[in-house]
Amino acid sequence: MSENVENLETGPAWASALGVVAIVLGVLLVAAHGNEWLTQYTIPAVGETVSELPPADCPQDELEEEGLTVAQCEQMVSNLQSIRVSRPDWFRSSQLVVSAVGTGLAFLSILVGAALVNYRRWAAGAAVVVFGALVAVDVVTFITAVQTGPILRAMYLWDALLWFCLHLMMMLGAIVGAQHEQTA
Amino acid sequence: MANKAYRPTAVITHWLIAVSIFFLFISSWWMLALPLPGPEFQFRAFPFQLHKNLGITLVFLLFLLLYVRLRHRPVPEQSPAMKPWMHKLAAIDHVILYLVIFACCISGYISSSFSGWGTTLWWTVDLYHWGWEDEDLNMLFSDIHLWTCWALLGLIAVHISGAIYHAFGNDGIVRRMLRL
Repeated sequence: MSENVENLETGPAWASALGVVAIVLGVLLVAAHGNEWLTQYTIPAVGETVSELPPADCPQDELEEEGLTVAQCEQMVSNLQSIRVSRPDWFRSSQLVVSAVGTGLAFLSILVGAALVNYRRWAAGAAVVVFGALVAVDVVTFITAVQTGPILRAMYLWDALLWFCLHLMMMLGAIVGAQHEQTA
Repeated sequence: MANKAYRPTAVITHWLIAVSIFFLFISSWWMLALPLPGPEFQFRAFPFQLHKNLGITLVFLLFLLLYVRLRHRPVPEQSPAMKPWMHKLAAIDHVILYLVIFACCISGYISSSFSGWGTTLWWTVDLYHWGWEDEDLNMLFSDIHLWTCWALLGLIAVHISGAIYHAFGNDGIVRRMLRL
């Protein structure tokens, strides 16, 4: 008989609710950290290429295809240049590492979320560790962005703060859940 | 005892598809704000290749999921929490979801085939370039790609809402797709 033929009896409600929140946010976070990694990988540092990007190339057919005005097309290059010149030398490599670690932890939070919904005995303890590590990643991201300048702060701080609050709530929920299980 | 949970292959494939779809959404919004391609600007090359590769892989994952699901069907959930209209909504949402994921991926691939840009599958295999450079067809399929993807986002919202509803109700239904 296959292992997945076992019955699906329910665990405590807190574990089911916290688990599904961890899974949904984990899926979004994999995408968010993955995209941050892609961003840093794709946009080279100023020192690696010319310091000033050439003028935008905005052929009419491409503008029509993408529904852009010439001003928007030119602004795309300006936006890229503002990111490049706003990044301190260490920022790109730092973000590549932090986003790679964040992607791995986000995958782990999906697994831990599934374990919570399925109510494995080890799930609450593992959730405290994984959600705590995600809080740490958010703090590092926040501090990293604070050390840059107003342009990158505007891009990163709000997201980092939002994720920090979400992961903090999840970690505290897991701590209370774990305590509840110990006393039950 | 009846088989209530999905097969591990279906569970893993389902979550790989979920992660891939959200990554494709977020990265596509970002990469379309990169400078238009030109002799001096190749910033879009890597993200677009990655986007196409993930989209093509998604079709294979979708077929694998459908194959496993159709071959090993768990019994429908008989929980009192699952009302008849919920069964109907879930069934309709799933069927439309699969169709729209397929339409979204295929329209993107066809649009790319008429763009003049080739596709190298995971930077190893040059896919046969059967299309030709045709701006009208490229734009037509690009529009279909855009609108099917917006529809997909709405369907996913319904899908996730159902999962969260059942998880908060702690009725055991979401466990069917979470057990390895």
